[in-house]
Amino acid sequence: MKVVISRTIFFMIFVLALLAPESYLLAAGNLLIKNATILPVSGPPIPGGDVLIIDGIIKQIGKNLSAPAGARVIEASGKYLIPGIIDTHTHLALSGTNEGTEAITPEVRMADVINADDPAIFTALTGGVTMVHTMHGSANVIGGVNVVLKLKWGQPSEKLVVKEAFPTLKFALGENVKQSNRALLPGRPQRYPATRMGANAIIRRELLRAKDYMTQWERYEKLKNSKNPPPNLLPPRKDLRLETLADLLRGKLYARAHAYVATEMVEFLRLAKEFGFKVAALDHAWEAYKITDELLAAGVGISVFIDNWAYKMEAAEGIAYNAAYCTRRGILVSINSDSSERVRRLFNEAGKAVKYGLTQDEALKMITINAARQLGVDHLVGSIEVGKQADLALFDQHPMSAYTRCEMTIIEGDVYFDRQQILKNREEAAARKGGN
Amino acid sequence: MKKRIGKLNLVSGNRKVFLLQAVAILLFMILSTSSPGAGEEVGPAYALVNCKIFPVSGPPIEKGTIIIRDGLIEALGYAEKIKIPEDAEIIEAGGLTAYPGLISAHTNLFLEIKQQEQPQTPDEFLSSFSQPSEPQEFPDLQIFKELKPKKQTLESWHKIGVTTVVTAPGRGIFQGQSVVLNLNSDQPNQMVLKQPWALHINFTTERGIYPSSLMGTVAFIRQKFYDTLHYDLHKKKYLSSPAFLKRPEYDPFLEALIPFVVDKKPVVFQCNNQEDIKRALRLIEEFKLKGVLTGCNEAWRVANHLKRAGVPLLVTVDFRPPTASIYSQQGEALRKKAEAEVFPANAARLQKENITFALTGFGLSESSFRKNILAAIKAGLSPEAALKALTVEPARILGLERQLGTLEMGKIANLILTRGDLFDEKTKVIKVLVDGILFNYEEKGQ
Repeated sequence: MKVVISRTIFFMIFVLALLAPESYLLAAGNLLIKNATILPVSGPPIPGGDVLIIDGIIKQIGKNLSAPAGARVIEASGKYLIPGIIDTHTHLALSGTNEGTEAITPEVRMADVINADDPAIFTALTGGVTMVHTMHGSANVIGGVNVVLKLKWGQPSEKLVVKEAFPTLKFALGENVKQSNRALLPGRPQRYPATRMGANAIIRRELLRAKDYMTQWERYEKLKNSKNPPPNLLPPRKDLRLETLADLLRGKLYARAHAYVATEMVEFLRLAKEFGFKVAALDHAWEAYKITDELLAAGVGISVFIDNWAYKMEAAEGIAYNAAYCTRRGILVSINSDSSERVRRLFNEAGKAVKYGLTQDEALKMITINAARQLGVDHLVGSIEVGKQADLALFDQHPMSAYTRCEMTIIEGDVYFDRQQILKNREEAAARKGGN
Repeated sequence: MKKRIGKLNLVSGNRKVFLLQAVAILLFMILSTSSPGAGEEVGPAYALVNCKIFPVSGPPIEKGTIIIRDGLIEALGYAEKIKIPEDAEIIEAGGLTAYPGLISAHTNLFLEIKQQEQPQTPDEFLSSFSQPSEPQEFPDLQIFKELKPKKQTLESWHKIGVTTVVTAPGRGIFQGQSVVLNLNSDQPNQMVLKQPWALHINFTTERGIYPSSLMGTVAFIRQKFYDTLHYDLHKKKYLSSPAFLKRPEYDPFLEALIPFVVDKKPVVFQCNNQEDIKRALRLIEEFKLKGVLTGCNEAWRVANHLKRAGVPLLVTVDFRPPTASIYSQQGEALRKKAEAEVFPANAARLQKENITFALTGFGLSESSFRKNILAAIKAGLSPEAALKALTVEPARILGLERQLGTLEMGKIANLILTRGDLFDEKTKVIKVLVDGILFNYEEKGQ
């Protein structure tokens, strides 16, 4: 009976395959990629290798693998297969960036404003990006809770969210939050804080408030559960702002801090130590090369640009060797885009690190496994390994080459970007237009 | 019979005078029918005879009679089964079709929208930037108090068959409280069906002050809801045992929210795109609100969410794609195409998914409202579903299903008489009764 059923299904699939000009209609999440140069990141390159994906998970890596019935086969000889690129600092797919009216707004959640219709998702896919950490902006000292998304273009917003990733809270230090690059309007007061000392002080002030808030609730719970609770016992006011900060202190949230200069980074790490909160990474971190000992001692990585420093005063002492040097020192480094445009060429940005002293493999890691580790998802993605989710990108040349181009982007075994297919569609559309 | 005499006595006390009056009224009626919209008559009793009836609550009646007395439907049914009371004024309605009056459950009718003053001089311009803005939050606003009804507006809505509207406030995040009105006159007190009906919330932002971003707005709303729950709890505790309990500080904002957050009166969320719908559903779920969604012209894209939530929907037939939507993000040509082809099918797709909804003309002029209803039908919405979505569904959502929405005995006499099928492009509304008050809109030469 089973044989009969599977034969019938096979036949039906076969007919479907004949009917469909492309094999898009076949079972989703099942793929066999053949004869690619696999750069697994977790190990040495595999020339002429195959990757078999079943139900969105990498099932097998090897040579001469055969596709089960219904799986789409992608011939990739001469091409490079890499883990899907992960951007650890962007603001795409959101209907809002900054709640910049007040210095402290941890109560806002970027997950509330995901816009799955943002074309930047597709832009990112064309550059092999499969996952982004999309964040609150840097207009204020404590922004909001960020969210990690998979770029499943065309899927509803709730299907994009990566629940397994670290929940992170955005902090920002320096010029943006002290509004030093803003023209002050007459009659409108300067927002506190206006200095780096102020930024540090307001974080301490708010965290102390959060501690006090936690104590209030503890006291209330204790009284409520006591033998004779007072008749008019009233719970404390639920304060979403302090609730979020309390979660940071409880270790449920990780800090991500936009920071440029060495002093403010060291100060922030001290705050983290003082209050016992976790820091997932420091963002931009242009002067990280000055404080590698401190970063190593704190076990905190950095998420940086590669070579576009000095675009503002606090970036003046940035150096293009920052990422490479910090990597050599043993710091976990990722390269981010912070832009809905640069995101499509993040591989070029990482590739530049080769010039500044890293190997191709080390450079590639900065936009794959290192990024995954910073987001807390390295057990799921970030390298090509059996059992991991099949988030992959196919490039026509080595991805760290200046001449490379992304050919295909795959998330959980589904093809979300196929360059050849899009070019073909475009030609057909042009032909139809010409025919009219 | 007794009643009739009693009333006649009140009017004249003399049979001759009555006859003269009757002739005068008749003459007046004939005159008024020749000038559309000019006449309206308050009659104690009407008998609409020989009309086709769409009661919505049951199958159509080919040739029926409707008796209306004191603003209510006294009886209706097949012509041969309904006895016409002697005192009823007979309105010959042969060739006309009677429908329940249509309901548009979200409008901003009779409101004078204040234009924001534009800065004129450089000084004004500068101060408009340097002065911090005032919060635009109006949770305690009763829009009823702002109504400035105009006969002309009334009549133009009658002519597309609408007899009942919700007038809702339209500024701020917490916009204020709406009112349900019967379009029976220009007297607000006389028009009210439900005051207030619901609290209206829009996912917009403040300018220059908190919350200035969409995520800030969501946080702001949540915090206000939590604060209301806490404030209410505090008040109740204080009432029951004030000893050793500090009294809660009076907060007009939270006072205004108590009926909606604690006592679960309806809260209407303005949903301008598919993500707004999800945001609203999350808030309704989190605070167990009696939620209603309005706008929703992208509702078909979140049909699975709507099915699961079962929250009442007020779906506008405004087909303009929302700014955040992919249909607005791929150039002007595709946006226009979507407006003409994709968005009109919203209601049809909801019907296919067995999701019930009311249709509104929110954001549209009355003529576009009617035009777009016809477009929605052309795009696949069944006329039966369209009629329900304009009558019995909104009545149910407004909690007025016992008074409105169908033609049934005992209900409010809100009905329209059309020449031709309601959803035929050429069909005109000939007569409108609101609370039993007759308005004639017969075309010239008819």
